[in-house]
Amino acid sequence: MTNPEERLAMPKVAPIRSGQYAIIAGRIGLAVALLGAWKLGADTAGPLYVADPGMVLQRIISDTLSGSLVRHVYVTLRLSAMGFAVGCAFGVALPFLLRRMPRLTNAVEPYILASVGVPKYALVPLFILWFGIDDAPKLWLVGLLVFYPIFIAVFAGIRNVDRRLISMARVLGASEAAISREVIWNSLLPFFFAALKIALPRAVSAAIIGEFLVGNEGLGYMIEYSRQNLDTTGVFAGILVATALVLAINALLLRFDHRLNAWRPVDRHMEL
Amino acid sequence: MAGAPVLEVRGLSKRFADRAGREPASWVIKDLSFAVDEGEFLTIIGPSGSGKTTLLNVLAQIETASAGELFFQSRTTPVDDAKSLKPGLSCRIGYVTQEDNLLPWRTTLQNVLFPLLVQRRLDSETRARAQSLIRAVGLSGFENHYPHELSGGMRKRASLIRTLVYDPPVILMDEPFGALDAQTRAQLQEDLLRLWSLGRKTIVFVTHDIAEAIALGDRTLVLSRSPATLAGEHTNPIPRPRDIRGIMTHPQFAALYQRIRGEVQ
Repeated sequence: MTNPEERLAMPKVAPIRSGQYAIIAGRIGLAVALLGAWKLGADTAGPLYVADPGMVLQRIISDTLSGSLVRHVYVTLRLSAMGFAVGCAFGVALPFLLRRMPRLTNAVEPYILASVGVPKYALVPLFILWFGIDDAPKLWLVGLLVFYPIFIAVFAGIRNVDRRLISMARVLGASEAAISREVIWNSLLPFFFAALKIALPRAVSAAIIGEFLVGNEGLGYMIEYSRQNLDTTGVFAGILVATALVLAINALLLRFDHRLNAWRPVDRHMEL
Repeated sequence: MAGAPVLEVRGLSKRFADRAGREPASWVIKDLSFAVDEGEFLTIIGPSGSGKTTLLNVLAQIETASAGELFFQSRTTPVDDAKSLKPGLSCRIGYVTQEDNLLPWRTTLQNVLFPLLVQRRLDSETRARAQSLIRAVGLSGFENHYPHELSGGMRKRASLIRTLVYDPPVILMDEPFGALDAQTRAQLQEDLLRLWSLGRKTIVFVTHDIAEAIALGDRTLVLSRSPATLAGEHTNPIPRPRDIRGIMTHPQFAALYQRIRGEVQ
């Protein structure tokens, strides 16, 4: 009834499919297990230490409906975005400026590398002292934490550009500005996106930590305020929302990355 | 067909900066002098590692020379100072390098239009020229492919017409067909001769293949093993138009081949 070819072809296809189902089933199982562990932890440790998942969900819904959570999310996002914009702008612009001045670059490089080592969170008290207790100290914190990964990646990306492409563009009549825009920028895009994957979640984290310390709005404030009132459910709700925020930003970034780097022959299946 | 010299080098010498702690680097090119006439197809042949690419890099003003003079259209251009180099001499010297050096994030058409774009010469007329060149080398249908989606021969064609599209009076070519199979290579050589016979540009074509040097050139220079000096000069008696694929059966081919063969070491 069945010819040998069909019998040979069958097992080749089948394991791949069942493998994919196994992965999906595994993911769902893991999610259930994690939720179960959370629930178990809440039941054993008590609501003061681990909030009940159902209660957390309820809190998120009620706070969303009352509008307070939306406001906190907006404040944190706005702070992260502004700090990110400033840090990212400097992180990209500075390597392009230094490219034109190799001697200056060599002179300042050890200082830049040393400044990477300064723990930025330790600077917050100084920022408060210098810039007050409004948005400014938090912006400095977010900006600095975003600046370094982007600066380092763009700097490395510029050094990594194929010299032959630059020479070729010069022969073809490209100005230095056109070379920066076309050859260098496009060459370092993969580096830039790798840095964004670090810098964007960092911007949100830094904003939240900034809000722990200064201010009376934002997700960080919400988490810290809940803790001070022994409201563990509020703390868990804040953490969950912050995580969801970062994941959403990452998903957006990945889409953007795919579109901008569509020309790349490799790496399509190798993202993190 | 030969006019006044358009490009000339006198006493050109080149050695690379010595590495710290080593003896001074040896000469790559030593006291090399030659001239290229307007509209001439000059082929330069030499063994691998004889400084052919370095020579073209100096002519294209990508690299400095250590000594010597370069004249372009009877004007001296400095060759020993990196700051005063003008790569491509303001788009008057085109350079088709050994690797295609296409921009990987640009499609075939975008790569061909790139020089027009950066030279601010992109208009309907130059666009039409780009399209006709794409057709002439058989890249129609591949305009929107990225370089990594093209075969080696197609990439070579794209890099060739990227230089032809902005019409520089002099074109340097560095073993552009070196890494291709014999069929594709013969096809591209025919394409090149056809395009050249239409526009009559000045071409300096470097190769290590004696048959190719004879098939394409009006004149062939032979470079010695490093440091490169002039080992011989041969005017090519084979009339044009030439049959590239049958060039080896031409009665004057064998003698010329033998003479050049004796000088290439």
